[in-house]
Amino acid sequence: MIKRRNKKANILTENIIFIILNLVFLTILLLFLFSKIESAVVLEERYAKQIALLIDSAKPATDIHLNMEEAFNKIEKGWNINNIVTINGNIVTVKLREKGGYSYSFFNDVDVTVYPDVNNRDYIIKINGYNKNE
Amino acid sequence: MNKISQKNKRGTEKILSVYWFAVLFIIAAAIVYMVILFYGKPYDIREIEARILTNQIADCLAEEGYLKENVLGNPEFKNNFLGKCHLDFNVEDTYGWKELEQYYIRIKFYDFSQNLDLNFDISEGNINLKENCDKKGENFPFCSERNFYVLDRSNNQYTIKILSAIRKTEKNV
Repeated sequence: MIKRRNKKANILTENIIFIILNLVFLTILLLFLFSKIESAVVLEERYAKQIALLIDSAKPATDIHLNMEEAFNKIEKGWNINNIVTINGNIVTVKLREKGGYSYSFFNDVDVTVYPDVNNRDYIIKINGYNKNE
Repeated sequence: MNKISQKNKRGTEKILSVYWFAVLFIIAAAIVYMVILFYGKPYDIREIEARILTNQIADCLAEEGYLKENVLGNPEFKNNFLGKCHLDFNVEDTYGWKELEQYYIRIKFYDFSQNLDLNFDISEGNINLKENCDKKGENFPFCSERNFYVLDRSNNQYTIKILSAIRKTEKNV
């Protein structure tokens, strides 16, 4: 009688271990997937290219409000929100952490100002006018 | 007999669970491989970039279907094309891009009725990109050629062909 009970307990333990191992396995897989999909590296590249294309297709005296909620959520602790997007000459840089960042150039020769709108989780891209290179 | 059959059953169960984990591992490896393949590659935006570049050049040459004055046959416009059309082909200083220009554009004007080349070509950027336009592969530029029809103020008809080539392969392919 005792032997049979022990056997049943063994089967139950084996099944529980089996289920736990499966769950651990799936959790690790899901964590890997989410870390890849929402990683800062991917976001930096996506936003830098998106902003470069927006500037390329913009005309002077245009204000573009770009929602960057994902970037605001992903920003590294201690990193200043004002430094997420910077424009140097005709190169856009998006930086969500101290070590890293992604740059992409645009060909539209315009004077651009960028600044965050923290309340709306937006970044405002202001196309002031063409640079005087004629 | 019954004991042997029970032992066999337990053995089969163990083999089954090993097999189960092997299948899980193969599936996980496939998912990881696909995710790395998808997210490891950069977004290729050169097609959109080339389209915007062509549009900007077209807007610079013509307005409301009419060729702008002082464009066709004007050497000053041709020599200072980038400035006149508000284009800046400087790129970031990575992958040796500063030494090797990443853009090329060529504009050709044709007489619409006779399809005659008017021999007023404008080209800017890295001319070597043009040579690789017909090639397909990861290290070759993306090229786009588009034509459009315009009139001048005397109602002469022209076709303008714009070829835009963008390399930037390291950041797009």
